[in-house]
Amino acid sequence: MNGFDIHRSAAVARKEVMHIMRDPFTLVLVMGLPVLLVVFFGFAIDFDVKNLKLAVYDRDNSRVSRQLVSVFDSSGYFIPSAVSSPSRAITGLDSDKFSAALLIEPGFGRDVGRGALARAQFVADGTDNSKAMAVLGYLPGISEAALRKFGGVTRSDPVPLKARYMYNAELNSRWFVIPGLAVIIIGLLSILMTALTVAREWENGSMELLLSTPLKPAEIIAGKIAPYVVLILGGVLFVNLVARFGFGVPFRGGIPLFLGGTLLFIVSALSQGIVISVVTRQQQLAMQLSMISGLLPSLLLSGFIFPIESMPVFFRYFTMILSPRWFMEIARGITIRGAGAADLAVPLLALAALSAALLAAAFKKFKRDLEP
Amino acid sequence: MKTGPALEVKGLSIKFGDFTAVDDVSFSVARGEIFGFLGANGAGKTTAIRTLCGLLVPSSGSALVGGLDFSDGGKSIKKIVGYMSQKFTLYNDLTVGENLDFAAGLRKMEPRYAAKRRRELFELIGFDRPLSTMVASLPGGVKQELALASAMLHDPEIVFLDEPTSGVSPGSRARFWALIHKITGLGKTVIVTTHYMDEAEQCGRIALMRAGRLIALGSPEELKRGAFPGPMTELDFKGAEAGEFISALKKAPGLLEFSPHGMRWHAAFRDQAALSAALAGLPVSASAGLIKPSLEDVFIRLIEGAER
Repeated sequence: MNGFDIHRSAAVARKEVMHIMRDPFTLVLVMGLPVLLVVFFGFAIDFDVKNLKLAVYDRDNSRVSRQLVSVFDSSGYFIPSAVSSPSRAITGLDSDKFSAALLIEPGFGRDVGRGALARAQFVADGTDNSKAMAVLGYLPGISEAALRKFGGVTRSDPVPLKARYMYNAELNSRWFVIPGLAVIIIGLLSILMTALTVAREWENGSMELLLSTPLKPAEIIAGKIAPYVVLILGGVLFVNLVARFGFGVPFRGGIPLFLGGTLLFIVSALSQGIVISVVTRQQQLAMQLSMISGLLPSLLLSGFIFPIESMPVFFRYFTMILSPRWFMEIARGITIRGAGAADLAVPLLALAALSAALLAAAFKKFKRDLEP
Repeated sequence: MKTGPALEVKGLSIKFGDFTAVDDVSFSVARGEIFGFLGANGAGKTTAIRTLCGLLVPSSGSALVGGLDFSDGGKSIKKIVGYMSQKFTLYNDLTVGENLDFAAGLRKMEPRYAAKRRRELFELIGFDRPLSTMVASLPGGVKQELALASAMLHDPEIVFLDEPTSGVSPGSRARFWALIHKITGLGKTVIVTTHYMDEAEQCGRIALMRAGRLIALGSPEELKRGAFPGPMTELDFKGAEAGEFISALKKAPGLLEFSPHGMRWHAAFRDQAALSAALAGLPVSASAGLIKPSLEDVFIRLIEGAER
């Protein structure tokens, strides 16, 4: 931008700060949303399934079968309760009284003693996919613990595989979720705030007045978004502090790299907000479009909750043009894995390219749409 | 004080795609003049004004604003003009002082100079409330005056006002127009658009626009003489049945304009003889009196007449 004047831009930024100070809604939104998200995802939403009601029908009723049940009990994931018939167990699943059932055949204890194939059936409620997957994930651990308890009588596996989870040994889902919150906060707030503030100038006609002065579009854009960059960085800082000290989520990587990635993502989100505001020119519409385009991709298609690898082919490629997807990788990589710039070269470059493209689109759209 | 005309417009056209908003318009405005644009909505008044204050670039033709052209995309023009748009006045959620500081910041004015200008303008518009007053709490007329002060903070040579008095009370309108006269008294040029005929009467010259074209230009008196060279009479039928007379009158030779004005009618003729002939059969209960045509009559004749 030739002839960009920092003083004029600063005048716009100062005015924007005054708008923000006078508007409780903005402040509440920017301060409140991070708090709300942290509380929500930190406390309420826990992907670790615990205290599952387990129906137990033990037809064997031997010492060994009782030991098996006690292993389930002591794992902390299950609360076993005995039922009098297999059909009771199934109706219990039907009525959601139980989440899983354990059916032990007669002769289970004897077979274990002989080292033969012992039979016990585990039935899980598949209605809730992620819950069922989590439950099934516990089984290998439990069967291993049970075998140990039965007294070293192990059916030797031909290839014993032992899994160890790196970076998050306990697979604590908060570690996985909370660093991703920065993505949601920036994604939503940046888009929403800029879309609203620029749309407001169009809506009340002041944009025309601004343009009748020597003020340039670039100066307007820079002045408009600067205060929000600061506000939103504050929100991200808050989430990271809470993650670290409230939930014990580690921050293993470099802070400058994280800041750099964050700024790149903020730029892409703010540019998206400007494009929205120029297209809609109305606060109402801008708000709705921002909510949809800001929240849905970062919530559903960024890998925040649903792994990108398991998406249909179309969506796997589609996520590549969404900046939240790349920043999600960066945020998690830096905080949990302690990844460096070289490790994150691909997502960083992709994010930079997307930000540049969106920023260019914002400028172009903004300039072209000055005429009525 | 610079010399030369404030505006020098030759064959100016402004197109948006296939639509021609301003079509081959030429005029010139002297410094210190109050120059009005009159026309229906969509006649091209606002587009013309927006172009002349550097917001739009002419599609063809030329325009010199304060002697400056559009070779730099209107950049230098923006520095010497002040613009008050139709819709927006000031930010309601900011104080008077904050609004004016913002205006000064956009123009990169020295704080001391800006404060001096602010005091001068406050005196001009008679504003004596504290700077910390919220704009939202000000009455409409005062807001409008402050918006004018804000547009004039950088001491522009030419001030463009796009329907500055829409939506304010008649008393405030009168005050605002007194202010416009004061400004031109200081040597500034004021270009104004309006819907109100009484306001148009106060302009030195008026450009009448229709469908992007300039269809008449001159002082209010010149426009009236041009549109109505002959006499005009006001007819009052006092409730009497006059349908037959009216339909006959409409066909009378030499009738220029015949239009209802409330309960009365205005009829304009080419000359005195045509008037006498046409009014010969006037019902006894009715009265007819010679009147001076108003700008409203001119507007009806030139703008609405052309559309009929």
